Amino acid sequence: MPEVKATILCIDDEAVPLMLRKSVLEKYGFEVIPALSGAEALQRLESQPVDLVLTDLLMPAISGAELARCVKRRWPELPVILYSGVNEIPEDATCADLFLSKLEGPAAMCQKIEELLNRARAKSA
Amino acid sequence: MATGSARETLPVLNEGFANLLDAAEKVNILMVDDQPAKLLSYEVILAELGENLIKATSATEALDHLLKKDIAIVLTDVSMPDIDGFDLAEMIRQHPRFQKTAIIFISGVHLTDVDRVKGYRQGAVDYITVPVIPELLRAKVSVFAELHRKRRQLELLNRHLEQRVAERTEALRERADLLELATEAIVVTDLQGVIQFWNSGAEELYGWPREDVRGTNIHELLRTRAMQQSNNDWQNDLLTHGKWEGNLIHYARDGREVVVSSRQALKTESNGAPSTILEINRDITSRLQAEEALRKAERLAAMGRVAGIIAHEINNPLEAIINAFYLIRDHASLDEEARNYARLGEQELLRVAHIVRQTLSFYRESQQPTSVSVTEVLDSVLELQSRYFQVNQIQVQKLYRVDASVFGFPVELKQVFLNLIGNAAQAMPNGGRLRIRIHEHTDPVTQVRGVAVSICDTGSGISRDVGKRLFEPFFSTKAAKGTGLGLWISKGIVQKHEGNIQFRSFRTGSGCTTCFQVFLPAHSSADVMRASAGADDAANRSNGGAHA
Repeated sequence: MPEVKATILCIDDEAVPLMLRKSVLEKYGFEVIPALSGAEALQRLESQPVDLVLTDLLMPAISGAELARCVKRRWPELPVILYSGVNEIPEDATCADLFLSKLEGPAAMCQKIEELLNRARAKSA
Repeated sequence: MATGSARETLPVLNEGFANLLDAAEKVNILMVDDQPAKLLSYEVILAELGENLIKATSATEALDHLLKKDIAIVLTDVSMPDIDGFDLAEMIRQHPRFQKTAIIFISGVHLTDVDRVKGYRQGAVDYITVPVIPELLRAKVSVFAELHRKRRQLELLNRHLEQRVAERTEALRERADLLELATEAIVVTDLQGVIQFWNSGAEELYGWPREDVRGTNIHELLRTRAMQQSNNDWQNDLLTHGKWEGNLIHYARDGREVVVSSRQALKTESNGAPSTILEINRDITSRLQAEEALRKAERLAAMGRVAGIIAHEINNPLEAIINAFYLIRDHASLDEEARNYARLGEQELLRVAHIVRQTLSFYRESQQPTSVSVTEVLDSVLELQSRYFQVNQIQVQKLYRVDASVFGFPVELKQVFLNLIGNAAQAMPNGGRLRIRIHEHTDPVTQVRGVAVSICDTGSGISRDVGKRLFEPFFSTKAAKGTGLGLWISKGIVQKHEGNIQFRSFRTGSGCTTCFQVFLPAHSSADVMRASAGADDAANRSNGGAHA
């Protein structure tokens, strides 16, 4: 169980993987707000503050990298993780705080999210 | 001057020849007599010959003319005051230039005089008795004049021929120089293939000096064979059509296979019978290799694109399945046996994920350099090769002194180590020991600090000759199995990282030890700053990006 309770905005254009990822994160102890597109994610962010954004990279309309840039412009302190099935770091991924492969496995994913949250909290404290 | 103009009107041989034969050029006839009246009468007699008549009233005056002009005939009185005709003749004969000048004495003939006249060894000499019979004098003079004219024409012709010969010789020499200058192998053989000419291009290409090949059969020497099946009949084609073009395979002196683009032509005698074969061969071995390498590279690039797509398409559902198993495995509703199955399923799926990351991510590379853990790269390469090590009984010994990071391109560095470790493994087909060492190192030349990775095997070793060419493109000891590009590319990658690559191979008690050492400079903070927004970013990304 994480020491810090946190709310994560989780974005993926595919519903099934999104649902399963949500369950994994919730099992670990995070609170999860799911979104099926970049537009929906930005809408949610306007109404509800979150601690971290975990977005898929390759999505139609707004890509994960574009979403990360939008988020960082508006909320520079909000940690953003690009989460992708492609194995290389895309060139436009520099705006995110972390690039994470979907194949790291659920345990590693949760652990890295927590590490990033801890670093972000230490910075703002 | 008659001779002068004759020389100038000699442009080319054929024309010149015709000119010479047609030319009715006047010759000079020198008449010497102390009595002007006699000179006048000779002039009248000889006028109708149409030659140049020159008069001299003394031997001295005659000599003066002789020195200035080309005189064909000297017609001289014998008895003259001071220097008589015989003395004059003597003087004329002493000069080599006048040795062929005809001399006609006009005198009352005594026996002794005739003897004296005959005593001259060279040149035409004749005499005419007084009283002079005009027809006789004209006849003799005209014979000598004609003789002189012919001789002069011959001399001119000779000079002209000599000049032409000199020009031709020079042209031939230049042509021979050109043949030597050509980088193509130029060979002339007889119809059976016996070598008659072998230029330095051929010496260079095949390694055979010309002294050794002259007289030997080219096809036996080079073990000629056609590149394509359809060309097997090329020798017949050449004999039927008079020429042939195509690719042939030859073997050089050192056993090296050489592919040549060959152009051959049949040379015929003037009667039309074929006599020799002229053959020009250009080495296209490296061109073909380069084309092949390019095809391979294009195939790899295409595979890379496919791999990227597959990776993405597989990874997305794979993540979902792994997550599902992760959620099932501890689910409260399941008994211990069912949970165990779920755990096994999750484990195996993680293995699949790992393999996908190891293999399908191999072709793609981020354009930006990142922090790369050398130990991680080496471990991933060793893992890829682990099956090979097992099958071939290769013991792997890891001596990691530092957990070093360098700044660079992980996939490219992985390629370097995969190449070096792969080579080492292939050098030990009957088993052996592979030792991987990582340690801190300062370049002795540049004093740059960094990481040295040494990869040592106990394989077949590298000879001095092979060592010299090791990093050349297309150099391979694996014959058809290797592209000969591995070490060349590796060296390029290491140099791109501002490092260097060295090797040593030496005999040990039982066999050989070969070590390759790759030095990579430790990354400076400036590099990190340049490539990313901040140090944090780079560190984070290296965690996430280590799989790339």
